[in-house]
Amino acid sequence: MFPRFSHARPTDLQAALALLEQASGRIHAGGTDLLGCLHDGVLTADTLVSLSNIAELKGISPSTENGLRIGAMTPIGAVAAHAGIRSTYSALAQAASVVANPPLRSQGTLGGNLCQKTRCWYYRGDFPCLRKGGDHCFAFEGENQHHAIFGGEGCYMVHPSDTAPALAALGATCRISGGGSSRSVPVDQFLMPALVDPQRETVLEPTEILTEILLPPAPPGLRSSYRKIRSRQAWDFALAGVALALQFDGNVVRSARVFLSGAAPMPWRAQGAEAVITGNSLNAQTITKAAAAAVEGAEPLQHNGAKVALFEGLVAESLETMG
Amino acid sequence: MSEDSPYWIEGTVPETPTPAEYPEPWGKTNVVGARLPRVDAYERVSGSAVYPSDVILPGMLYGAILRCPHSRARVLSVDSASAEAMPGVHAVITASTPEADIPWSYRRGPESRLFPSLCQHEGEAVAAVAAETPQQAVDALRAIRIDYEILPHVADQETSSDPESPKIWDDGNELPARPPYERGNIATGFAEADVVLELTFTTACEIHAPMETHGCVAQWDGDRLTLWESTQGVFAVQARVAEILGLPLSKVRIVGHYMGGGFGSKLQAGKYSIIAPILARLTARPVKLFLSREENMLCVGNRPPSRMTLKAGVKKDGTLTALAMDTLSTPGAYAISGFGLEDWQIRDLYTVPNVRTSNRFVFINAGPARPFRAPGHPQGSWALEQMMDDLADAIDMDPIVFRLKNIPSVSQARGGQPYTTTGLKQCLTDGAAAFNWETGRSRPVQKTHLKRGVGMGACLWIAGGGGPPSTAIVKIFADGSVNLNLGASDIGTGTKSVMAMVVAEELGIDPHAIQIEHADTATTQFATPSGGSKTIPTESPAVREAAYAVRRRLIELAAEQHDLAIEDLELATGAVVSKTDPAVSFPITELEGLQRRGLVMGVGYRGPNPEDVAITPFAAQFCEVEVNTRTGEIRILRFLGAHDSGRVMNRLTYDNQIFGGITMGIGLALTEERILDQATGKMVNANLHDYKIPTALDVPAEMASLAIDPHDEQCNTTGAKGIGEPVTIPTAGAIANAVFHATGVRITESPITPGRFLEAQAAQAEEV
Ligand SMILES: Cc1cc2nc3c(=O)[nH]c(=O)nc-3n(C[C@H](O)[C@H](O)[C@H](O)COP(=O)(O)OP(=O)(O)OC[C@H]3O[C@@H](n4cnc5c(N)ncnc54)[C@H](O)[C@@H]3O)c2cc1C
Repeated sequence: MFPRFSHARPTDLQAALALLEQASGRIHAGGTDLLGCLHDGVLTADTLVSLSNIAELKGISPSTENGLRIGAMTPIGAVAAHAGIRSTYSALAQAASVVANPPLRSQGTLGGNLCQKTRCWYYRGDFPCLRKGGDHCFAFEGENQHHAIFGGEGCYMVHPSDTAPALAALGATCRISGGGSSRSVPVDQFLMPALVDPQRETVLEPTEILTEILLPPAPPGLRSSYRKIRSRQAWDFALAGVALALQFDGNVVRSARVFLSGAAPMPWRAQGAEAVITGNSLNAQTITKAAAAAVEGAEPLQHNGAKVALFEGLVAESLETMG
Repeated sequence: MSEDSPYWIEGTVPETPTPAEYPEPWGKTNVVGARLPRVDAYERVSGSAVYPSDVILPGMLYGAILRCPHSRARVLSVDSASAEAMPGVHAVITASTPEADIPWSYRRGPESRLFPSLCQHEGEAVAAVAAETPQQAVDALRAIRIDYEILPHVADQETSSDPESPKIWDDGNELPARPPYERGNIATGFAEADVVLELTFTTACEIHAPMETHGCVAQWDGDRLTLWESTQGVFAVQARVAEILGLPLSKVRIVGHYMGGGFGSKLQAGKYSIIAPILARLTARPVKLFLSREENMLCVGNRPPSRMTLKAGVKKDGTLTALAMDTLSTPGAYAISGFGLEDWQIRDLYTVPNVRTSNRFVFINAGPARPFRAPGHPQGSWALEQMMDDLADAIDMDPIVFRLKNIPSVSQARGGQPYTTTGLKQCLTDGAAAFNWETGRSRPVQKTHLKRGVGMGACLWIAGGGGPPSTAIVKIFADGSVNLNLGASDIGTGTKSVMAMVVAEELGIDPHAIQIEHADTATTQFATPSGGSKTIPTESPAVREAAYAVRRRLIELAAEQHDLAIEDLELATGAVVSKTDPAVSFPITELEGLQRRGLVMGVGYRGPNPEDVAITPFAAQFCEVEVNTRTGEIRILRFLGAHDSGRVMNRLTYDNQIFGGITMGIGLALTEERILDQATGKMVNANLHDYKIPTALDVPAEMASLAIDPHDEQCNTTGAKGIGEPVTIPTAGAIANAVFHATGVRITESPITPGRFLEAQAAQAEEV
């Protein structure tokens, strides 16, 4: 049923990295995505390296830069419940609280949420698609009602994470260890466009581990939110979602970051909308223009045209509740 | 399906004798109708109830079925050598295994085989294995090499009949046409109308998804086979297994005490019911074979998709003059059952003199249709109830007032037979009052993009009167304890609890004290499968008859022993007492006749239904929704089901049916849809994540039921009609009507996803 693999549970990061150097391994965080992929034959593995015993990867604490540090192994539910995140980084708390369902939020980790594989039904199903090493994307001319309207190049998946757009909007950074060093990558660059390498969703090398996510200190006047549309109210990925992080100066928006989920192979930055909002107050006219700008340039496929109106409506509604 | 026998019966069934004497109607009851927790609630909740998928036998192996991954393909060769050599594998069977080289016929349509060489849908069985662990069994399946010739397929009923479409069967892709149903003259009817509307409605294919997947455990004891099967009817499984394996019925024992849900897909045996015994025989071990969720979604059945073009004529005063409907649907690759009857509401629900309906059925390369909770009815209701609202709108009449103008007193589709009772009018009026319809309807137009509206739908269900055969046995032992024996399955609806209440009512004892033996072909009496909303109206009169016989016998024994007149005695709690002298009381346990015999037994038969009358459940459901007109999100705020299903036997299980039926209807209206990849014909959402069944959060907290009981003393001796199916018939149409009331957008395609709503809204805006 499962491929044959060995399983290791090291107690410190260095040991985990050493294991990844030795064998073609996969990281096992909460396992909520990984085990499904192995079970369904979407992924294979020789070795699973569990991070569940590495204390330093868990927990939420103040960062040295006066922001927050969230260990990659922190359960999504703990992120949703954290008082500091709820008060200061509402977009993240809101996003974490609409992931999947309560059991999955307590088992799944924030790191795993950023590294999860797409839910595209061709990828998960019995189809030899591009992302699995095949020669084409079945969704492009197939059943693409849930697929990308932006950034689909070769592969038309949408990235499934709810926390990624929220983190991207909040300007969060991923800390990565591996290959004897460590590096930082902003969340919006951590997830990659399809064209770079259709078999990879993140910039991670096979020997690297995502160790923590850093939230910058909240600037004065920051208001943020995440709102998700889904077909049913639990246990469902985003048909469309929008994360907003706006810095207000009185009524005027000083800076804006707008990221869409369910729109593209990675959280999609709606720069057009950001430009409309920045320097303006959120009056009806600005909101209408920003919402229209958010979907400008969308390239819907045969069955997902309704997503354009959906995103437009969603962005407008979310901006309204912000103002 | 709309053929001679009802959908839950395959072939002929025995008749039971007509009871010699019927008990009087109950009048007021002491136990029946109460809110009684289920007699097996503790077992179900604590996990001690043993479902077929819980059965573990010593030495048991695990079976698994290899399924064709293509929507249409020919099996050219099968190489199972390496699978056979794998650790833990005890048997591999294929079409060339003599024991498995057997025909598999469907009631209608082309013959097939257990392992057909021409696979007509994704998921057709090709081979099977038995191994020591479920994991080894799956690994062995993966090691079987099959060479397929992939054949052109049809994945869309709309194109199945096109000349360029591949021919699925030699004689084409259309099922033989059935003559249309006609009454009156629709041309005249439409000519008389002030308003004529025509709309095309579609419903998506819904998949059977019981919590316990299909499957069984097979064990041989010499030449006797026992199957623990998750089924709605043990005797239906017994007949099929015996027929296919060539065994006498007496040698096939099917046990189905607990089962984890069945909505029509478990009315009969599956291939697994045959494959497990074959594997068990070849390995001389018990074999457990339960389908995976994915197999379940591909193979065990569905409510087929439908396209219905409905034309309706109405006069300004609200008189319906004509209805005409043409339906296209597909049974999948085989014509088994569960398709048709979309037009029954159109024929029978409202008074219309002129009606014409026609059906076309075409094959596609997809899993088979199966009876799915009220076959055809929710589809037809989706069309008719929306049309009724549009007509009401066109003549500027309240939808309920309009429906009330067209309430029939007789079954028009049955040549004018009277209904034993009809509570349709009361469902509408009392339901509307309880729901506060007027207030919801007259709410001023809301200014934001969140729009609220109320809507409703009415329905009837074609069957629901039950009927013979059924035999039940009630025994009272020397210590006064009681045993009830009946063949029917309790498919989670509370059958056992209701039957215990019937016995308790007659014998004056605590229903929880009654030991029930049921759903076992070796130890209980013949029963038809639990389906068709007929279990209570079929079984409860037989059970009552049996308990009544026991009661009479106890009174006779007391009368004999004490030399008293039978007419003066009655049964009270634990004693036979005098009707006139409260001092005269004989405890049951002191009746000599009972002590000497050891037990007193009563046998009850289900007598025939009254002739020339229609026994029909009716309903009206009401709901309020909130539509986000920017995002297309639809929230259901509250629901009320007003149901005439005759006597309420247990108010808790009655409400369970209503709330469960509404939940299922919400799935039809908003979330459920089988999606086939057109290029390959493969189902892309064959899992519970992508195939979206409503969750607890999708169901409104405010759910109410209203029991309309017109006291049906004619239908049977308990006065109960069926409830299990009508509860899901009008739900989706009511939701669509509420969406229309809230937004003015008419959605004719199910499910109403956010995208579909937004598209329809935009299309409508363009028209204006
Ligand atoms: C039914 C269901 C519904 C869901 N619904 C939603 C939803 O609505 N919204 C949403 O956002 N998500 C949803 N998810 C996804 C869920 O949130 C993810 O499965 C979960 O976050 C993954 O975390 P995990 O710790 O279990 O990761 P794992 O399953 O252990 O790992 C996931 C992947 O990430 C890699 N990985 C994990 N941690 C690291 C790390 N620290 N460094 C490098 N690589 C790593 C693993 O190798 C693996 O490939 C759903 C999942 C399921 C099963």
